[in-house]
Amino acid sequence: MIESVAGVAHGATLEADVCIVGTGAAGVSMALELMGKGHRVLLMEAGKDRDDPAVQAIYEGEVVDELMHSPTDKYRQRRFGGSTAIWGGRCMPFDPIDFEARDWIPNSGWPISYGDLAPYFAPANHYLEAGRCEYDADKAFSPPAPPMFAGFDSDQVRTNGLERFSCPTNMGARYKSRLAAARDVTVMMDAHCVGLKLHEDGQRLDTAEFATLDGKRFKVRAAAVVLATGGLETPRLLLASNDVQSNGIGNQHDVVGRYYMCHIAGNVGTLTVNGPVDRVRHGYEISPDGIYCRRRLHLSEQAQRELQVGNMVARLHFPKIIDPSHRNGVLSGLYLARHFISYEYGKRLRDGNKKGALLELQHMWNVVTHPFDATSFVTHWLRKRTLAERKFPSIILANKNNRFSLEVHAEQIPRSDSRVMLTDQRDVFGMPKMRVDWRYSKEDITTVERTLQAIDQALRRTGVGQFEFDRHTLEEDLLRFGAYGGHHVGTTRMGLDPKTSVVDGNGAVHGVPNLYVASSAVFPTSSQANPTLTIVAQALRQAHHIHGALTRDQQAQEVLA
Amino acid sequence: MKVMVLGGRGFVGRAVVKLLRERPDVQVVIASRHPGASESGAGGVSCVAVDARDEVSLCAALKGIDAVVNCVTGDGPSIAAGALSLVNAALKAGRPRLVHLSTMSVYGSQQGVLDERAELLDDIGWYGHAKIEAESHIRRYAQEGGLAVALRPGVIIGPGSEPWVRRIARWLQAHRLADLGAQGDGPANLVDVNDVAQAVVLALGMALPADGTMPVFNLAAPDSPRWNDYFCDLTLALGAGPLQRWGARRLKAEIYGRGVPLKVLERVAGKLKLDANQWPQGIPPSLAGLWAQQIQLDVRAATKDLGVQWTPYARTLAQSVQWLQAGSAAIAMA
Repeated sequence: MIESVAGVAHGATLEADVCIVGTGAAGVSMALELMGKGHRVLLMEAGKDRDDPAVQAIYEGEVVDELMHSPTDKYRQRRFGGSTAIWGGRCMPFDPIDFEARDWIPNSGWPISYGDLAPYFAPANHYLEAGRCEYDADKAFSPPAPPMFAGFDSDQVRTNGLERFSCPTNMGARYKSRLAAARDVTVMMDAHCVGLKLHEDGQRLDTAEFATLDGKRFKVRAAAVVLATGGLETPRLLLASNDVQSNGIGNQHDVVGRYYMCHIAGNVGTLTVNGPVDRVRHGYEISPDGIYCRRRLHLSEQAQRELQVGNMVARLHFPKIIDPSHRNGVLSGLYLARHFISYEYGKRLRDGNKKGALLELQHMWNVVTHPFDATSFVTHWLRKRTLAERKFPSIILANKNNRFSLEVHAEQIPRSDSRVMLTDQRDVFGMPKMRVDWRYSKEDITTVERTLQAIDQALRRTGVGQFEFDRHTLEEDLLRFGAYGGHHVGTTRMGLDPKTSVVDGNGAVHGVPNLYVASSAVFPTSSQANPTLTIVAQALRQAHHIHGALTRDQQAQEVLA
Repeated sequence: MKVMVLGGRGFVGRAVVKLLRERPDVQVVIASRHPGASESGAGGVSCVAVDARDEVSLCAALKGIDAVVNCVTGDGPSIAAGALSLVNAALKAGRPRLVHLSTMSVYGSQQGVLDERAELLDDIGWYGHAKIEAESHIRRYAQEGGLAVALRPGVIIGPGSEPWVRRIARWLQAHRLADLGAQGDGPANLVDVNDVAQAVVLALGMALPADGTMPVFNLAAPDSPRWNDYFCDLTLALGAGPLQRWGARRLKAEIYGRGVPLKVLERVAGKLKLDANQWPQGIPPSLAGLWAQQIQLDVRAATKDLGVQWTPYARTLAQSVQWLQAGSAAIAMA
């Protein structure tokens, strides 16, 4: 059912078995999974069915270094569907090594194993509409897809790992009719969670408190409350709920908001392939179930251990857009159109270092002298992206000269001084706003450097080609735009020890067993992978756990009765 | 026991007959407008020509019959009037037990998980309308002292299903159907034709109340997928990929740009006495409504009280695909 918050009286207390706060990737998939299992589920959303600037403004906060991190109201959405309304759709599971305590990665190790989460990746793929859960390029295609490089063979560097692309699916729009038809799920929009009320003994969550923009306040009491509000809003809610525990909920040991990670990302160097251009496969394949898939360069787990590096992938990419020497009409066109592209997708085109009329002119020259590039690109883009329901995931240009850059996406070491905290500023509901202080480590750059060197060695050893990059500018290349936007990881990390973690392996807050977090906020480490697929897998695992816990409780109560 | 299968040469009727023939205690009478000779005489099966709408011929045919399975299909009037004349004839001719094949279409456009107590809603067109009327006749039979059971299957598939296997497969192979996103998110409520036959046999044997009520059972495989999943599974099994993805606009364009005009052409061809059987079929608007409808049959009663052992969806799918491929292999050989 979808019910209007208008029908809830000021001061009312709603009852439910499970109250899920947030309708993004985690919240919606958890609600769908709990459907038909015998529980009354309340799915609460602060925003509306569409973008609303007044609601989105509630996400505003401070960033310590604006060059290093995007504003807090970017790359996330306070609306039905959450940030899946704007995500890019890239899916791949976290790797087994991500779950291990690696002695060369401080603060690494999950309280659950890859095997614990593995059964949930297939249903997560399904909910996100990324097709079958097949991430091995040698098995995913029929007929088989060509290799990334003909003649390349390496134990260290894998090229058969895939990323698969969601439509990208907006979880709100996609599953609205299913949620509306369900009699055991009630969706309520325009209801902002503004606080969490513990029992006086601090051992249990009593109610979650909600407010509307027109001044109504009400509460929800549920056997289980799930915060599915993302990696930034979740610590804000926990820290701001400080009436019983003065440091905020789950924060006795000052861990909430810490260990905040994004990804280290950027375009680096020049990869040159020997031989004809058809030796390289740099674009997308389409799997039989219709999914855009793409290979990536990825160090094997054994190689990561040997090189003592974090997890990282690299994709074949076109040359740097901002540098007009690529003489490509499409790239120059994109550069010139950068102000018309949304903040989230245009950020990396707006380079702060180079400006001026000469640069603009050089790009215009590229467009004028390569008119065919631009027109065929625009036609393809219109047909396969703008008008298509399953969108062509990114720009792929014809390979004319066997030269690429590498697009890097790398794990960063979790560190306690990288954090989200509260400020003295208040939002419209009187809740403290957040300040983000994102930090990275030298070792994060070393991960990229060593991995790129391994890629270069493997290319040379097999005679495929080479990869050259400037070690001295690597850090600058990777940090030019700061942290990769939208991947908010680690702020309520899971673990066994309450001194270094906020939630347990099931996502329940230490010491508050009926309060859960379903979000990338619980990931102790950030992997090479984009977080969404693993967020959903994790949420499905939690749904399974909560279903079991509630069923056991109900049975126990029946026995007592 | 002598069991007459009305519509015994149809898709469901054939499966029912096949299952009944395995029972040594059952004598099967296939009643059909055009009874064939193939099964006649063999294995305790006899055939009789009956026009289901003709009460007099029905009455004669029902002589000595212990139970009737009503699998009559056709246009609206045949379904509704057929049920009426069946009830009238049965009341006159020894009151055999009636097992009536109804449909989930009697629930109309309702959404959610529906069990057999859900109201009947006549708002999705002629088929649901006729089936609701047919059910009301059968219910009257129970009220007047007859024994009757109604079965409400979802979408019946399996080897031999022209509309739900071959037609869908053809659209997918021609890339004239796709993953429909929210427009194909409805539960498909697929049920194996053999499970429907099994339910019929169980309904023939179950103890029935003599209190004027008519037990009703929903039939759908508990592991039946959603429409999008069915389309994807069928595409992969047939090697017909890559599966496309359509939005609402693209589906509308297919229906109104192709489906409706093709239907009009088919009607015109019918008037001109042309054979339109081999012409391509387009997607009718009613199907788009079904694919998006969030209706899920609650089949706990059929599982628990009737004792149906459901065929896993994966097996039904594999057998359906095998049937399709055997058909095209036969065509290729010819």
